[in-house]
Amino acid sequence: MAITALQLKDVSKDFGRIIALRKVDLSVEVGEFVSILGRNGAGKTTLLNIISGISKPSSGEVQLFGTDPSDTANKSKLAVISHEMFLYANLTALENLEYYASIYNVLNIPERIEFVLNSVELKHRRFDLVGTFSRGMTQRLTIARALLHEPSLLLLDEPFTGLDQHAIGMLTSLLLEQKQEGRTILLTTHDLHTASELSDRYVIIEKHSVMQDGPMSETTPEEIRKKYFSVQPAGVHQ
Amino acid sequence: MRAALSILKKDLRMEFRSKESILAMWIFSLLIFVIFNFTFEVSRLVMLEIAPGLLWVAFIFSGMFGLNHSFSVEKENGNLRSMALMPVEGGQIYLGKFLSVTFIMVFFEILIFPIFIIFYDLQLSVQMFMLIPVILAGTLGFTSLGTILSAVAVHTRNQQILLSLLLWPLVSPIVIWSVNLTGVVINGEITGSFYPLLIRVGAFDVIFFTLAYMLFDFILED
Repeated sequence: MAITALQLKDVSKDFGRIIALRKVDLSVEVGEFVSILGRNGAGKTTLLNIISGISKPSSGEVQLFGTDPSDTANKSKLAVISHEMFLYANLTALENLEYYASIYNVLNIPERIEFVLNSVELKHRRFDLVGTFSRGMTQRLTIARALLHEPSLLLLDEPFTGLDQHAIGMLTSLLLEQKQEGRTILLTTHDLHTASELSDRYVIIEKHSVMQDGPMSETTPEEIRKKYFSVQPAGVHQ
Repeated sequence: MRAALSILKKDLRMEFRSKESILAMWIFSLLIFVIFNFTFEVSRLVMLEIAPGLLWVAFIFSGMFGLNHSFSVEKENGNLRSMALMPVEGGQIYLGKFLSVTFIMVFFEILIFPIFIIFYDLQLSVQMFMLIPVILAGTLGFTSLGTILSAVAVHTRNQQILLSLLLWPLVSPIVIWSVNLTGVVINGEITGSFYPLLIRVGAFDVIFFTLAYMLFDFILED
């Protein structure tokens, strides 16, 4: 029997008059790779913020591994990768990773840091300040930082934004590795090809609600594209 | 406590690498001392009257640099969000930031105090050691309250203005008492009323720290 990693029931979120999410129901099983698609402003980032416990829903119920997402124990099970780096420019790559490893109570810190730095091919730059890194290198270090504590759930908020082809290839293969290791992954992206290459399932959010939810194996990127553009036109906000 | 110490270590490493806060605080205080010392030609007696106030003006205004900087560095690259995602209680994050702000401020005070002594020609005596608990108590009150208010203000566009507006009314009793206590020590007039006032400042420190520690989780929420 499949174990549920994430369960959202009737979740809505508003910021005063602005509606960000409306009655979202979503259930994700352990080990599933789900791509969340939708236009800018559809509510994808708000959804990830609620799942990560940063933001509380205005109504509805969220459960992460059976408990509240804001539980301290739950926070050590998840990692977020977004266009925000979560790194300090004035620290070296090694110092950044040491800091996060200590916060996340990682065991065997030196070995683990060496492993993640090798995974993102940044070991040779470990003593350099992050402020001297290119965008692609910084994003690779962000990935290393996120994988440091071996999270059970990865939340990826448009992680491919601004990356070069090499970095995209590296991130894609890293995500495939994580998937094979049985991690649960939620990815928001506009890149339908990458989504179809990586995911088991797709969810289309439009007008702040889930409009489509289906298995990736039964569809093609072209069909998703048609579904993606067949939902309500953009620009209609509550 | 491990998380708080990690935050402290990270902050101190960044500060002593860039020296952004310390240098700005030191130069600003030096300017205050120079301007007041050379602009107003007053007798030594009058100077002794205003010196405690000047010392605390330097401490507090320079401390504002430190407070603003403390959470500005967290805002860069989304690190405020990463703090909210950390698997630690908000109080631990507050403690880490409080310790780093306090350490940097005390370090700056140690650097600037000898200059204050020279500029205002103060006589060193055993009694002057009583300035240590006075300055420490005043500083702890300022940083305990300032740390949490700086975390509130950093979410806004006018961070520096908001921090001043929120902090000044709340911290002014501590500053006024600290100025009085400093004046008493500098003028060598420690009497029976000195210690109750010092204890009162300490009590405010404990109240501010406890409240901030407990409330910090709400500050991190979106």
